[in-house]
Amino acid sequence: MKERTYTVLVGGKAGEGVKKAAQVIAGVFCSRGLHACQADDYQSLIKGGHNFSVVTAGAAEIECVHQKWDLLICFDQRSVDEHLARLKTDGSIYYNSDEATCERGFGLPMNALMKKHYQGPANVSMAAIAIFAAVMRMSKDMLKELIKRQYKRDVSENITYAYDIYNLITSHTDLLDWDATPLGYRFLSGNQAIILGAWKAGLDMYYGYPMTPASSLLHYAALKQDSLGIQAIHAESELAAVNMALGSALAGCRVAVGSSGGGFALMQEAFSAAGMVEAPLLCVLSSRPGPATGVSTYTAQEDLWFSLFQGHGEFNRIVASPDSISRALSLSAELLSLSWEFQVPSILLTEKQLSEGLIDLRHSSHPLPEAEPQTGIPGKDYKRYQDNLKGVSPLLFPGSQFAPETVIKWSTHEHLESGLRTDKADEIVLMKDKRQKKAAGISSACSKFETFAEYGEGERLIFAYGSTVLELREALKFSALKFKIVAPVYLEPFPLGLEKYRGASAIVVEHSSSGQFAQFLKWKLDIMATTVIKKYDGRPFDPEELSELIREASHA
Amino acid sequence: MRDLNTPKTNTWCPGCGNFGILNSFKNSIVRLVETGINVDDIVITCGIGCHGKIFDYLNLSGMYCLHGRALATAQGIKLANPDLKVICFGGDGDSLGEGLEHTLFAAKRNLDVTLILHNNGTYGLTTGQFSPLSQKGYQGLSTPKGSIETPFRPIPLLLEAGATFLARAYSARPEQLCATIVNAVLHKGFSFVEVLQPCVSYNNSYQHYNRIVKELETIPEKPDQALKLATDQDSVFLGVFYQEHKPVFHEELYQNRNPFRDRIPASHRTLP
Repeated sequence: MKERTYTVLVGGKAGEGVKKAAQVIAGVFCSRGLHACQADDYQSLIKGGHNFSVVTAGAAEIECVHQKWDLLICFDQRSVDEHLARLKTDGSIYYNSDEATCERGFGLPMNALMKKHYQGPANVSMAAIAIFAAVMRMSKDMLKELIKRQYKRDVSENITYAYDIYNLITSHTDLLDWDATPLGYRFLSGNQAIILGAWKAGLDMYYGYPMTPASSLLHYAALKQDSLGIQAIHAESELAAVNMALGSALAGCRVAVGSSGGGFALMQEAFSAAGMVEAPLLCVLSSRPGPATGVSTYTAQEDLWFSLFQGHGEFNRIVASPDSISRALSLSAELLSLSWEFQVPSILLTEKQLSEGLIDLRHSSHPLPEAEPQTGIPGKDYKRYQDNLKGVSPLLFPGSQFAPETVIKWSTHEHLESGLRTDKADEIVLMKDKRQKKAAGISSACSKFETFAEYGEGERLIFAYGSTVLELREALKFSALKFKIVAPVYLEPFPLGLEKYRGASAIVVEHSSSGQFAQFLKWKLDIMATTVIKKYDGRPFDPEELSELIREASHA
Repeated sequence: MRDLNTPKTNTWCPGCGNFGILNSFKNSIVRLVETGINVDDIVITCGIGCHGKIFDYLNLSGMYCLHGRALATAQGIKLANPDLKVICFGGDGDSLGEGLEHTLFAAKRNLDVTLILHNNGTYGLTTGQFSPLSQKGYQGLSTPKGSIETPFRPIPLLLEAGATFLARAYSARPEQLCATIVNAVLHKGFSFVEVLQPCVSYNNSYQHYNRIVKELETIPEKPDQALKLATDQDSVFLGVFYQEHKPVFHEELYQNRNPFRDRIPASHRTLP
């Protein structure tokens, strides 16, 4: 399996354990030394409908899932109908013959066998695990151990059901080496990586309100509250979440908030407040198609301008978007640390595709920064907004233990160095200039990090950002033509290192209908977009199809 | 004792009820310090409106917050460092209009902060529009024919939401107001003090309140008694209507931990 990849799709109804089954399958690939990634497609409903999860594995690193299946496992007719067309000619389909018919592949009586084995609620996803195990020539003992490890309920019923399915499979492949010792692996989603990266840099508290695809930030922080020592608060609204976060920052805790576009819109005023009170605040904006409620469970890059211009009034902010899940981890740490160094809000802009995508994350020895403030001397002379050369005032936190005899006043109103409000002309200018002075420092501090990435060699340029970069990197594996992908990671301040491309011609790829990113590149770098490849149906690109679009664009 | 005054010029209208609140509050701080609380551990927040100016007249730490969000921010401060005594000032627009959700949820959580509601029954600083506590028929720039809404009844509202200390005071009865604030701050749990605050420019209620207020002699034992007294039509009662002791949010959440004081050091933050 050196060059090739292997893609599995599991499809069924919401509530049937599709996502979990795919995660178990991906874990098996990783434990055998392969790279894997997973994407889950689901609808905004809890039971029924149609869910499917795709896992692509390979010996080389995989950036995103492929859209042609080697192994297709369907629990119902809709899964067959939706996905059969993309089954490779040498691929295999296994379907639930009690619910579906299909002109190709193998029908298995999944429902009838469930009735035989389960007393209470049955678990059809066990059939997917068993089919996969049998196809891959996993031994029955290993299958048993896998089920015991991954599914804590109904262990004996799960095993006998899985065995019955396993015994029906007669076609096998030799992709996996079962003699080698299994490897440890970390299979993480983008949102999990974001929480872990921020935590590594010092995150103490996370505030949120559920909104797909940002909810799993809150869920993961809540799940890990004991082991990481982090507080996860589900507030009454996004307004509450972000204003509570401002309070916690005032008291000294490293805080983050997150939402998708709608919830983030509700946080606008407080984002502006963070600019005024000079609060170190990390915000995660995980996009889905908009406007308004939009499309809840799909991906988009419609919020670039929204993030760049978040909040009313003029103030410094940092905006950056990770081009991989490993970057999500490091970028989250970088942004929290920059927010604290400069007492400004920052936005980690990402999309459903990356937030909820899963990948095997290899350990990196790259050190991550810590979120530490410029501290001051407690006492009567302390001024919260003291002016200085860099515009970054010393930060102290209230409490007799931490800042005795010190008055620390934050204000959303324009203020004096003391934090008392003012509306005098010269004092307004003084404080606006103080805040503006941070810009130079922010720009040079960002340059310590990898502010943009380049992938591939070639004269021809393709610009993309965020999870679109993953799709492109995978697409170029199918391309005979050579390209260089240029991916800005930091968007505000814009990377100085990209000046070398000023005025260049390039293909631009983005998940937006208006071409925001191409406009942004025109503004920042005078990039001449020869073609803007746009996709705005909420779905990720199929890497193979994207490579074809690029081929067409490069001949245009 | 720290001088609680600031160099800020006071811009409330002469005769404003807020002066009574400011002076009584300063005296409350002196008394709280006498009970052993360190003044450096007292943090205040406020919203936007006439009431919010109190932030600048008090030499105490805290945040001058967004309109409606002062109580959300107060909760965030308390949750990050529960050793702090957090006191939030709110106007009727702030606490029961724009920010009603935070008021109800702070009570629901029994979050250990104090809300002092400056009830002037009007939007003073934006030139006298009707507020969530204005009487039916109130005429302002946005309701020239009179407000057609019935005002909230803050004490029943917050009793139902879960507040564990509910009191009413009057800005022109400084001693009762001062004592009430002290007791509210010392109460462990969400404490709410509604302060009747005449607005001399748009809702001058001094004569009405002077005639009708009456101090409660004892704290009612049961919630239904509290409700009856809080909504009495003949007298506006002042005093503590209800107090009970229930678990507070931060202790339920993380027991004796203090997220700021006990921050996990960088050396212990090893990625799993």
